[in-house]
Amino acid sequence: IEPVQPHSVHTLVFRSLKRTHDMFLSERDCLPAPDPTADQVRRAVKAKDQFGPVLHMQSSAKTARPAAGKQAAIAAAPAGSDGADSKSALIPASAASAASQAASSADPGSAASSAAAANTASVQVGEERMLVPKRAPLMPKPDWHPPWKLYRVISGHTGWVRCVAVDPLNRYFVTGAADRLIKIWDLASGTLKLSLTGHISTVRGLQVSDRHPFLFSCSEDKTVRCWDLEENKVVRHYHGHLSAVYGLTLHPTLDLLVTCGRDATARLWDMRTKLCIHTLAGHSSTVAAVASQSAEPQLVTGSHDCTVRLWDIAAGKSLVTLTNHKKSVRALAIHPTQFTFATGAPDNIKQWKFPDGQFLQNFSGHNAIVNALALNEDGVLVSGADNGSLHMWDWRTGSCFQRHTSPVQPGSIDSEAGIFALAFDRSGSRLITAEADKTVKIYKEDETATEETHPVNWRPGLLKKARY
Amino acid sequence: MSLTKLIPSPTQRLSERSTPAAANAASAADKPLVAVQSAAPPYGHRRGWTPRRQEDFGDGGAFPEIHSRQYPLGMGQPQSASSGPTLPMTLGADGRVNFDAVVRQGQRADKVVHSKFSDLLPKPIDEDDPSFQRPDEESIKDLTEKTRDALQRLVESKAAASNPVRSAERTGPAQFIRYTPSQQGAGYNSGSAQRIVRMVEAQKDPMEPPRFRISKKVPRGPPSPPATVMHSPPRKVTSKEQADWKIPPCVSNWKNPKGYTIPLDKRVAADGRGLQGVHVNEKFVMLAEALHTAEVKSREAVSMRAKVASRMQQAQREKHEETLQQIASRARGERAGLAPAAEAAEAAAEARERDAIRRERAEQRAHERNRKGGGGANDRDRDISEQIALGRPALQRNQQDPEAAFDSRLFNQDAGLASGFHAGEDEIYNVYDQPWRANASSAGHLYRPTKGLEEGASADEELGRLASGTGRFVPDRRFEGTGGGAGGSRRDGPVQFEKQVEEDPFGLDDLFDKVKRSETVGTGSKRPASGHRDEGGSGRKRDRRD
Repeated sequence: IEPVQPHSVHTLVFRSLKRTHDMFLSERDCLPAPDPTADQVRRAVKAKDQFGPVLHMQSSAKTARPAAGKQAAIAAAPAGSDGADSKSALIPASAASAASQAASSADPGSAASSAAAANTASVQVGEERMLVPKRAPLMPKPDWHPPWKLYRVISGHTGWVRCVAVDPLNRYFVTGAADRLIKIWDLASGTLKLSLTGHISTVRGLQVSDRHPFLFSCSEDKTVRCWDLEENKVVRHYHGHLSAVYGLTLHPTLDLLVTCGRDATARLWDMRTKLCIHTLAGHSSTVAAVASQSAEPQLVTGSHDCTVRLWDIAAGKSLVTLTNHKKSVRALAIHPTQFTFATGAPDNIKQWKFPDGQFLQNFSGHNAIVNALALNEDGVLVSGADNGSLHMWDWRTGSCFQRHTSPVQPGSIDSEAGIFALAFDRSGSRLITAEADKTVKIYKEDETATEETHPVNWRPGLLKKARY
Repeated sequence: MSLTKLIPSPTQRLSERSTPAAANAASAADKPLVAVQSAAPPYGHRRGWTPRRQEDFGDGGAFPEIHSRQYPLGMGQPQSASSGPTLPMTLGADGRVNFDAVVRQGQRADKVVHSKFSDLLPKPIDEDDPSFQRPDEESIKDLTEKTRDALQRLVESKAAASNPVRSAERTGPAQFIRYTPSQQGAGYNSGSAQRIVRMVEAQKDPMEPPRFRISKKVPRGPPSPPATVMHSPPRKVTSKEQADWKIPPCVSNWKNPKGYTIPLDKRVAADGRGLQGVHVNEKFVMLAEALHTAEVKSREAVSMRAKVASRMQQAQREKHEETLQQIASRARGERAGLAPAAEAAEAAAEARERDAIRRERAEQRAHERNRKGGGGANDRDRDISEQIALGRPALQRNQQDPEAAFDSRLFNQDAGLASGFHAGEDEIYNVYDQPWRANASSAGHLYRPTKGLEEGASADEELGRLASGTGRFVPDRRFEGTGGGAGGSRRDGPVQFEKQVEEDPFGLDDLFDKVKRSETVGTGSKRPASGHRDEGGSGRKRDRRD
């Protein structure tokens, strides 16, 4: 007999708690698996007790309904789908096999059945096979991403740097600042290539076109300008905004330009004829952010009235209004490959699914005014705030793997820390930050970091009943 | 689990018709009391009958003899699109009640509205799920094309408005439509069952101006129904947080646009005086000290130099005097034999001492006199402010007779109405009934010492001479009747002016007088007075103009 190891009460209690936790975590909300014999016994006892004298008169037609009906089946299904670990000891083998059958028999078949299979699993309990909704796994483990570090600071602007845009061929990037200049910098070396003057007020939005040699800029002086980069001069003005223009985006496939501003509208411009095709009204306050994509819904806007709207640009009407945010939505980011997007507000950063704007999850923890969001193809979401802090999140799980605040440029006071715009370069390996201390900071992933040196700081926890 | 399936079904049914009485009643109840008529009563027998259902109308329409609202075939019935504040309860595909029917009221059935609690719950990203993947290239291309067409149409219509007029647009080719009317018969369409219609686009005149006025402003329609609020209501603000955000009102030292009256303590509090630390550089102090020491030193040096110079001068003078005295004594000695030179020197020294003593004593005396204040000669000549500063009593200051030193109104105040009331006269103005300085002569107050002081005369003598009257400050001539007191006579009333008789060189006044007198004599006889009046009037006018 092995001698019992003396442990403190605390240790013992904690260990037993942990065992209990591990054992029952996966079946937290599940009822115990149905036991047919127990069920039969129960029924027999009850029948005898209530109808003892007349039992002999039972008719032969007696349908043996499966005991504990659907609930037990529901209980069995997620337990089965949740990773076959040591916890499956409690799950009856039949259910486990049924669950595995269900997993394998997720036959595509028709579209409807595949959709059904996505949310449900076919479970065989007793003699019946039925469709039962699947439960989501709790707290999946986040992926590891290398941490980001600052490697270049570019100063040249004499006012807050408000916006960034990257060349489609990744040769240069463009910044617009409160000193009314648009500066073009070489991406590799960080040297200044060109300064463009013309705006009368702060330049708030920039975008370089994929299919034309054009740079589009919008400013607080109500103008939207199209610069020809071969001649370095303005070739078009888009006139129509009634107030400062805060955001600008180009449609990826159509020759369309969408701008949004303080007059609570987003405007759709035809690039060539400079006409305002649609004035998308619906927001009740400044529209702060706009993003476009080629699939339906083609336009997303976020506003200071705490709503996010998805628009149908052919009709010029909003399709969906998302009111989940409690504070102004200042930042938007669409995932490059997935059909999802994120919105940023001071209360939360929320993840959504297209086309209906279905809420997916919260990225909570960045309790500051989020001015910018940027998404990587590797699944890294970066949020930049008004207090100069950068938070890096894992897209899939929603966990923050890095919090970073860069020191301000020497000569600036600490309160001048703030991030106004973020952009990943076309490769997704460099992050360009437009800041309030008049610098542009470039970050890259730390090559020397590994999973061991920078482990994922994550503990599986119970999902608390979150208040949205 | 249903127990009814387990237990056997009942063999005997206990029905209401077990007893005969109950059976009769049941049978009676089975028969309807009123025979249900399937059609309307015939014409003439419809009194008291109203059609209630659509079947009562039968084939026809409303009954004119029945005076109630009738809607045969449901025609004319007001369409209750909003049938009151109630919505019909519907069940969804999953068998659950559609509680969000309230939210989806005014919208299309397929509009995306998030109203369930499950919309708030987090869902995981399943990368294998096709709904998480972007739609494929083809569908995106189709969508792009559709959007492009729609937007192009819009752009063209907008651009066409500003385009210059072109030639008439080609109308499309004619369309032929085969139409089968619903009303068929021998009488319609001349017996045929179908018709063929040729549809042609009407030509639009390119030069035609717009046909309709669309500048009329029409109020906006109602907005789309508000979106459901998918978050919890904002948290209640704690008192601490509220206190954190409290901003004190702005009290400016320079601006007050609304013109508020702000108490002084609030104005000072907002001043920010205590907040600033006034830091003076120490070098100011050092500079001041350096200047001071420099000044002191320079003064010392100057005084030293002056002393040395004066001493040297004095020594020189003494030596000079000595030599002179020696010469003089020698001369005296030569004249009166050889006199001792030393005695003369001693005598001279004594004489000098005595002089010094005399001078000192005179100074002391003068100082004492000054201190005491003198009889009044000094005071009289001082300025009034100096007198006050020196503290001379008022009596001395004003130099009036003791009787007039105090205002008579101050005395006998217990006399009541008899004294000082003056029978209610408010306008009594007897403050300045006497001249200000009756006794003090102006001469003493306006002295300016002249540069040329006589040698040897003391200051006392000078002053006395001036005070008594140099004769410089006496007016040559006074106004007649002025000079209070002993001088001219006191004025009792206003100055009586004498009318000066004007010189009349041409004797016009005598002429006018004569004329007037002759007129007055002759007014008894009838004379046209108007003419005279006119004359007089014209004369007056002339006078006036002159």
